[in-house]
Amino acid sequence: MLRFLILALALAGSLLLNSGYFTNLLVIIGLHTLPAIGLALLMGYTGQISLGHAAFYGLGAYGAAILGRRLGLDPWLDILVASVIVAVIARWIGALVFRLRGHHLAMATLAFGIIVHIGLVELRDLTGGPNGLTGIPPLSIFGHKLTSDFAIFPVVWGACLLMMALAQNLVGSPLGLSMRAIAENERVAASVGTDVAAVKRHIMMLSGFMAALGGGLYAHYIGYLSPGPFDVGFSIRLLLMVAVGGFANIWGVLFGVVFITLIGELLKPLGSYDVIAYGALLIIVIIFFPRGLLEGLGGLLAHLKSPLLRGAK
Amino acid sequence: MIPAAPVLEVEHVGVKFGGLSAVSDVSFTVRRGELLALIGPNGAGKTTLLNTMAGALAPTAGRIRFQDEPIENLPAHRVNALGIGRTFQAAEPFRHMSVRENVMAGGVAAAKIGLLPSLIGWGRAHGAMSELARKADELLAQIGLTARTDDPASVLTAGQRRLLAIARALATGAELLLLDEPGAGLSEAEKQTLVAIIRSLSAAGKTVLFVEHDMGFVGQLSQRIIVLDHGILIADGRPDAVRSDPKVIEAYLGRRRATPATLTPAPASSAAPRQTLLRVRNLAVEYGGQRALDNVSLDVKEGEIVALIGANGAGKSTLLKALARTESSRAEEMSFLGESIAAIGPDQVVMRGLGLVPEGRAIFASLNVLDNLMAGRYAARRMAGIASLLRPSKNEVLATQERLQAVYELFPILMERRDQLAGTLSGGQGQMLAIARALMAAPRLLMLDEPSLGLAPQVVEEIMSCLDRLRSQGLTILLVEQNATAALGIADRGYVLANGRVVKSGSARELRSDPAITSAYLGATNAGEPAANEPVAPARRAAALGSGAS
Repeated sequence: MLRFLILALALAGSLLLNSGYFTNLLVIIGLHTLPAIGLALLMGYTGQISLGHAAFYGLGAYGAAILGRRLGLDPWLDILVASVIVAVIARWIGALVFRLRGHHLAMATLAFGIIVHIGLVELRDLTGGPNGLTGIPPLSIFGHKLTSDFAIFPVVWGACLLMMALAQNLVGSPLGLSMRAIAENERVAASVGTDVAAVKRHIMMLSGFMAALGGGLYAHYIGYLSPGPFDVGFSIRLLLMVAVGGFANIWGVLFGVVFITLIGELLKPLGSYDVIAYGALLIIVIIFFPRGLLEGLGGLLAHLKSPLLRGAK
Repeated sequence: MIPAAPVLEVEHVGVKFGGLSAVSDVSFTVRRGELLALIGPNGAGKTTLLNTMAGALAPTAGRIRFQDEPIENLPAHRVNALGIGRTFQAAEPFRHMSVRENVMAGGVAAAKIGLLPSLIGWGRAHGAMSELARKADELLAQIGLTARTDDPASVLTAGQRRLLAIARALATGAELLLLDEPGAGLSEAEKQTLVAIIRSLSAAGKTVLFVEHDMGFVGQLSQRIIVLDHGILIADGRPDAVRSDPKVIEAYLGRRRATPATLTPAPASSAAPRQTLLRVRNLAVEYGGQRALDNVSLDVKEGEIVALIGANGAGKSTLLKALARTESSRAEEMSFLGESIAAIGPDQVVMRGLGLVPEGRAIFASLNVLDNLMAGRYAARRMAGIASLLRPSKNEVLATQERLQAVYELFPILMERRDQLAGTLSGGQGQMLAIARALMAAPRLLMLDEPSLGLAPQVVEEIMSCLDRLRSQGLTILLVEQNATAALGIADRGYVLANGRVVKSGSARELRSDPAITSAYLGATNAGEPAANEPVAPARRAAALGSGAS
C-alpha cells in the first residue's frame, strides 16, 4: 500500500518538473505497463508463455477506435467495450492454445500475434490497412479534451495503479497460490483440486483485458493508428520487460518497463535494427539474470561484497 | 474386523498403452477406514492403477466408483473435489513456495473463490488467505513440520517432502489418501515417523491406500495387501495370508529358478592376476544436502562381472551415474585403466572405454534402430577430430562395420529391425538395443543399470545369457540389478549397497547364501517369512521384495 502511495506521489511530483519530454516518456511507460502487467500474470505467475500479447494491445487500440467511429460511442465507453470484447477473445484463444505446452504454446501464441497483425494490415475497409486510422478523438472530461501529455498522464497512470493494485491482490489471494502451483507442476496442481485449464483461461482473459485497456488508451492518446507498433517486435519487447522484471514480480515488471522504454530511447538511432539489441538483451537476461535484472544485479553486488566481508572477519 | 461400507470400488479396470496392457481386469474394494497396501514387482502396473483411481489417467476398460459415484472418466481435479487426495512417487513439493504455502495451495480449490473477489481482495478472498494459513499450520503441526513452516519447500529433506506432500493432500479435505511410495528413499528413522503419522491418520478416520516396495514398511502398516503382477491382481487379503500365497511367492521369488543352474559362474580365478580396470576410493555424492553415496570404494578387474545390489534407493544408480560422470561427485580416487576420470566430461568417459546402459533404456524413440546404434558410435568418431564426423576415415568406417557385425551377431533381432523406429520395439528388444548402442563404442567396461527392469522372466534370462556371452568375449561388466538372484547368478563378485554405503562385498557364491543381504533389503522384518529351504532363497527373496522402480 505504501509503495502505491510513494509511486503516486513520485508521479505527481514528476509533473512539477514541467518537462514535456519527461512527461511524454512517463505516459508511454504507463501505456506499456498495462500489457506488461497482464503478461506478467500469465507468464510470470501462471507459467504460460505468450509471444502474441501485442495482438491484444492492438485489438484493444483498433477496437476502441473502430467502435468509436462506427457506433459513435464515447471514447471512455469504447475503450471499456473494446477491452471487454478482447478479454472474451483472449479467453477463447486461451481455450484453444492452452492445450499446448512449452515450445508449442510459444509457437501458437506467436502465430496468433502474426495473424492479428496481418489482419490489421489487410482488412483495409475496417482498419484502413497500412495507412491506418486517423482522426481518433481524444478522451475528454466535461468537454475538456485530454490532448496534451499532462492531461492524459493522470488517466493513464490512474489505470496503471488500479491494475497493479488488482494484480497485487490477485497474486496474494488463494487464486494466486493456484497460479503459482500451475506454473510449477500442473499434474500436482490438478491433484489438489485445481481446475488447471479454467485458471489458465481466467488469467488469459484478465491478461487480455489489461493489454487491451492499454491499447485503447493508446489509440485515443495518439489519435492515429497504423499496424506497425503492434507487430511481433512489440510482443518480444513486452516479454523482455517481464523478463527484466523477474517474471513473477509486479513491481519488478514496472522496473522492466521503465528500463526497456529508456533503452528504446537510446536505441532510436539504430532504426529497425534495434531488434538485434533487444534480442541480445533478452538472451543475456534469461541466461545471467533469470530472476530479473534488479534482483540479479543485487545478487551480483552481494557476491562482490562478500569476499570483502569475509576479509573483514 | 467389522466390514465397513465400501469407499472405493474398482471393477474390471484395464489400461492399455498402445498395444501394451499395463493393467488388466483388476477388481477390488476399499472399505472405509482401511489401511491398504498395493504391492508388486517392478513394472507391475501399481502407479498406473493408482493414476486411474486419482483421475490422472482414464482407464481403457472397467469402472471405478468412489462413494457410489463413477469417477473413471473424471479429470483429476474433480476426483480430488470428491474426496480423493494423492501423493506422487517423487513427492513433488512446489519448490518456489514456502512449506506453509504448499499446504495452503492444497486448500485453495476447496475454498472456491472466483477471479473477481480475488482481484478486489475484499470479503471472502481476504479472510480466506488467513483461514488457509491457519489450517495449514494445524496440518503441519499434525505431521511435525511446524519448525519448517516458513522455509522454502526446496530445502526440505526427502522425508520432510513426503510428509509435506501428505499434508498438502490432506489440506484438500480428502477422505481417501492414495500414497505412491511414501517411504521410498527415506532413512529408517524417517520411515518410523512416517509409519506413526500414517497410523494416526488412519486412526483419525482417513482411508489410506499406499503403493510400497519396502516390505518392512508394508508389514508394519497394512491391514490388507493387494498384489499386482504384470498388471493382473494376483492376491488380495490379510498380510500373513498374502505372504504365504504361493502365487505371490511365485511372482516375487520363483521366476528365475532356472538361471543360476544353467549359467555357470566364471571360474573365480581362471587366469593369472588380472588388471584392475576401475578403481574407486571413498566416493561421495550429495543431492541438495542429502548424502546419496558415502565412502564407497570398489574395484573392477578385467574380465569380471561385478554385481552391485541393494534395496531401492540404496544409491546403485547414483554410483553408476557418478562413474559415467553424469552426476557430480567427490572421490579420493576414481580411475579407469590407471588414469583418473574424476574431472573429465561424460563423453570423454565413453571415449576411454567406459560405457553405460542407463536405467529405463533411454533409447532414442524417434530414431530407427540403425541410427540409435550409430549414435552410440558418435563419441568414438568424434575422438578422431571434428572432420571425422563429416568424412570418417577408412579405419573408422571399417571399425564401425565391425562393431555393427558384432552387435548384430549378438542380437540378430536388431539386424532384422534395423529400419524400424526404436520407439516401436518391445521392452526386451529396447533393452537389447540399449546394450548394443553402448557396445558400438567398443567399451572395455560396460555398466548396466537394471537391464531386467519391467521385462518378462524369459526375456530377463535371454539378456542375462547375453551378458554371460559378452564376458566370455572378454568384456568386463558392472551390473546394477534389482533382481539380485539373476545378477549374482552370472556375477563373479558382488557389492551390497544400503543407504549409500557398501555394507558387504565378496564373491557371488558367498553373497548368494549370505543372510546379510536379506537384512540389507528387508531390514528387521524378515521374521515370519517362509523359511529358506535352499541356499539361494534369502538373496532371491531380497531381490524380489527389495526391488524398486524409481
